[in-house]
Amino acid sequence: MDTPALVQAIQASAISEWMRGSLKSLPVIEAVHVMAIAVVFGTILIVDLRLLGFPDTKRSFTRTSDELLRWTWSAFAIAVVTGALMFAANASTYYVNAMFRWKLVALLCAGVNMAVFQLVTNRTVAGWDRNVPTPPAGRVAGALSILLWVTVIFLGRGIGFTKGYDFAVPEDAEMDLEYLQ
Amino acid sequence: MVEFAQWLQATPLSITVQSVKWIIPLLQSVHILMIGVVFVSILMIALRVLGKVREDESFADVWARFAPWMWSGIVVMALTGVVLVIGEPVREFSSTSFWIKMVLLLTGVACVVVFSRAAWSTGANAGGAGFSGGARSAAVVTVVLWLAIIFLGRAIAYDVEVWGSLSLSAAS
Repeated sequence: MDTPALVQAIQASAISEWMRGSLKSLPVIEAVHVMAIAVVFGTILIVDLRLLGFPDTKRSFTRTSDELLRWTWSAFAIAVVTGALMFAANASTYYVNAMFRWKLVALLCAGVNMAVFQLVTNRTVAGWDRNVPTPPAGRVAGALSILLWVTVIFLGRGIGFTKGYDFAVPEDAEMDLEYLQ
Repeated sequence: MVEFAQWLQATPLSITVQSVKWIIPLLQSVHILMIGVVFVSILMIALRVLGKVREDESFADVWARFAPWMWSGIVVMALTGVVLVIGEPVREFSSTSFWIKMVLLLTGVACVVVFSRAAWSTGANAGGAGFSGGARSAAVVTVVLWLAIIFLGRAIAYDVEVWGSLSLSAAS
């Protein structure tokens, strides 16, 4: 597959060089990425479950959602920065990796799902904020969101096992390629 | 310990985990999902103690909402973790991060129990007075401890890079 000039430029950049050259940076950045993912997934799960009526609808949806939003977004920003650093270190192998590409697609879908919910379904929130079941569109958004974020995490973990091989893994190959540069 | 790891690595169960290629990625992904569930459950309980979320609910309500998720998540994490260790016992047992993680894990669970009891006895109700300084400090310490546990889990794959000469795999 052709690697565009942009990906090659990222790979040749100083930050990419630093990531590859500093042995200690990679585990720290990967660990921070996992911490950020944990907060993003966990806080979104609380909001999604509330949309699905779990544990109940007694608490205001807006309150549940608003108080978690800053945590979700801050953690998401950290995940994007650490993820970009990991990408920069091995840009060309990420670029051709199918798991990575599908992960970006799943992330995009999760974003579209959230945007549709915010711009359409959430406009009527005053009518179902508490003690009333969420309308079907809201429940679908919640279920889709859980499904998409679980997919993002599975695909993200899958990158570490396929990076550099793009699925054409030889039968006897060592699968965990975290040391691969 | 090395002999035990080598014996474990040669058992049929370990060989199955090693050779069926989807098992380890699947278990690691479920393990990460559970980190999200457990860490955020602990975070919510801690943030309630610090007065940052759910001040409209009593501590008892917040505990009842998140503790079952936390404990169930810890059980699933332990189960997936045990199978992952069975799949790669030599790598895990010769990792300094792994052993420190195990110690911190026990400490982390103990911390949750201790600080939640402290919070219970303070008896904060919805909109009531804040928690004692001790309960607040315990909440912060518990969250930091669980962040350290997450870091060490990821660091198992980079033992020499992280620990240098203190790495057990460098010594062997």
